[in-house]
Amino acid sequence: MAATKLSYADLLQTNNIMRCQGEETLFLGITRTVQESKFFPVSAYVMLGYLNAFYRYPALLRKVEAAMPPEEIADRIRNTNSKLKSMGTNWCMPNFYLLGREMLINMGVIRPQDAAEDVAYVLDFWRRYQLAWRRDDGHLTNLEGGHRSQVLPERQVQVMHADMFDCAEGDELHEAAINFTAAISQYAVLIACESRVCMTNHGPYNLGEDRELLVREFFDLGQGDLPWLDDIADELPFSRLTLATGVKDTHFYIVDDWGSYEAKPEYKAENLVTVGLYTSDDLSETHIPVGMGSREELTQTLNDYAQKLKDVTTKLWERLAGYQREQLMDAGAFTYFAIIRDFAHVAGVYDQEDWFTIDERADRFRVLLNDEYGNEILGALFVPLSLNSHQQNEYQMMRHSGMPKRTYSPIPYTVLQAEDDDYVASVGPDLSPGVTYLPEKVDRYWTTRGTMTADELNQATRDFTPRLAGEDLRYLDDAWVKYNFDTPLAASLYEIDQEQSRVLAGKGAGLRRDDVERLRSE
Amino acid sequence: MVKLYTDTDKFESHEGPVVVEAFHSALKDLVRSSLDKAGVSWKEFVFSKEYEFITPEAIAAIEQSVVESGYRYQTSAVISFIERPEAYSPIAGADATSDTFSFEHADAVTSELEDGRAQVGQGDNVATYAKNVIGTARYYRSIDDVMTGLREGVPANTVAIIDDSGGTLTAPIIEQFTGIVCAGGTVRSHLGILTREYGIPCVMNSKISGVVNGDTVEVGVSGAAKTTEAYQQGREMSVPVWKHASAS
Repeated sequence: MAATKLSYADLLQTNNIMRCQGEETLFLGITRTVQESKFFPVSAYVMLGYLNAFYRYPALLRKVEAAMPPEEIADRIRNTNSKLKSMGTNWCMPNFYLLGREMLINMGVIRPQDAAEDVAYVLDFWRRYQLAWRRDDGHLTNLEGGHRSQVLPERQVQVMHADMFDCAEGDELHEAAINFTAAISQYAVLIACESRVCMTNHGPYNLGEDRELLVREFFDLGQGDLPWLDDIADELPFSRLTLATGVKDTHFYIVDDWGSYEAKPEYKAENLVTVGLYTSDDLSETHIPVGMGSREELTQTLNDYAQKLKDVTTKLWERLAGYQREQLMDAGAFTYFAIIRDFAHVAGVYDQEDWFTIDERADRFRVLLNDEYGNEILGALFVPLSLNSHQQNEYQMMRHSGMPKRTYSPIPYTVLQAEDDDYVASVGPDLSPGVTYLPEKVDRYWTTRGTMTADELNQATRDFTPRLAGEDLRYLDDAWVKYNFDTPLAASLYEIDQEQSRVLAGKGAGLRRDDVERLRSE
Repeated sequence: MVKLYTDTDKFESHEGPVVVEAFHSALKDLVRSSLDKAGVSWKEFVFSKEYEFITPEAIAAIEQSVVESGYRYQTSAVISFIERPEAYSPIAGADATSDTFSFEHADAVTSELEDGRAQVGQGDNVATYAKNVIGTARYYRSIDDVMTGLREGVPANTVAIIDDSGGTLTAPIIEQFTGIVCAGGTVRSHLGILTREYGIPCVMNSKISGVVNGDTVEVGVSGAAKTTEAYQQGREMSVPVWKHASAS
């Protein structure tokens, strides 16, 4: 009898995911610069976050799934802005976990076969979730889709297309949009401790007439889970914002799994021609327009919000400048490790202790995480692949580099053999006690339904089933709409997104792109 | 002593960075000796008995032995050196008060004075602007530097000379810069991305020499922006940085 519950098929899938993710990690490492900072010990906190992911993700994801399977989580947030629809799941979740594992293998603390069931489980949870939230797109990742992120259904793209306001270089709305984008990008990088995990880009979508829609999303802006925003971010009324941007004469030919884009010709602010602003969260049915009543209202809203963002940026910078190194390490490590905590929020089982403490099994290595070791180990794990576990036979030519190397150690298939029972399947079902050097979190969360405590928020998410996730609408996608657009059920589906649309309210499911363009021009 | 599973490795290279090799080698010794002392199988050791032996204290002893050997870690975050000066190498010229400190890059392209200006280096242009930017060079390299700028305001017409390609150090004062010359990163670093959003002329990955606080510098941002293809092909595609004679 085999010593494991894993099947051959499980292991084949697990090793395939590891191989593909490893190759994409190399590509992203080559084409995206490694961040450095004199403010934050970035690489060191990144590694602490990876180690925490290895020890905690299995138990935390099992806790989430006991309350709600990943496919249902995907169906509940399909219509809204969520960090679970960003680099947080496209790349971070599997790779944070696997990079922590690879680090421990190279330390000699674990072997490739240790925690085999955990590895298979985490990657399978990820795969199921990815397939579900990206089902309209049909790809597991942006990589698989040719570095595109066309994840929105037609009904949502239509509302953005219709309701965005025109702008042109030199006018007030254009200037406000540019100012706002700079301010929110700056703030997003600061709250994420010098990382880009609090913003992402989706798209492009073809608006016709040489225009493309790029949807820019920002998370964790207001007071929520991040302890370093306590009190400071109260004046920001929305925790999540979606900026819809139409850009002319520019093709976004890469939108990668880190949410970064490349354009030809190069993106220039002067080519921004339409803009719209929305908020949403796990308690809203869909995107809620913000300041979208008129062009003037949107201009004012963007300007007001940009000023608030700049004020809060200064306050937060001053707070972080007073932090000790261990506090900066914690903030950064939590920013990384807890990037998937919204699984717990949507499932209604969120506990701050789960996601904002460093498990003592990971914390024991903190003392090694000086700046130099952090930089060197992070670099070695991404591009040169210079650690022992990376080395392969000399005939191998790795994708993107041609080197005889491999990012992640596959699980050996011998674990399926009856005689090989000398491994442990899991790091264990429970979390070990956690450590944090940050002040205790203030129990106050901004949502689209007002401020709540963590318990109230859990209860509210448990009580809320979006209409889209109801039994009648849950399985309706764009492929179904193609053949059923003239039915009352299709109208019900489109009504969710059109309800608050200035231009498309009540217009139903039958509109084509040219119809939307004509309506927005009337 | 027992052998670890990974001690038998057909393609073992030990080509990793020095400090990584040092830590990992010592950690493996700790794991071997711990497994010996525990006297149990690996299956009983990993994720269980190991926690009695591979403790924070045992790991701290590894780190301490490296520091006691005289090794000093390279500093990235200023706070790291401030809190453990005995373990880190200082960042040269990390306070902006010095009027003699200058970045000195061996690959800086320099020229003789011509038409009132001399080239003092080059950098990767983030975005093309209609005209070059001309301003007064001022170094911003630490939290104290930025705090001063926040408290007293950044002097008008400042071209910030920095080596942090991140987007957080200068966050509260970045809008006050007329231009930026950054000695690190690429045009896709956070600083590059943010300056493009703000419309602040900026060159990244700059290699400059002989620029001190108060110099008048000109940054060639009217030149071509460096492309993704140029990075991927390893192709040089930079714009000049000049110093004007009048300020010398």
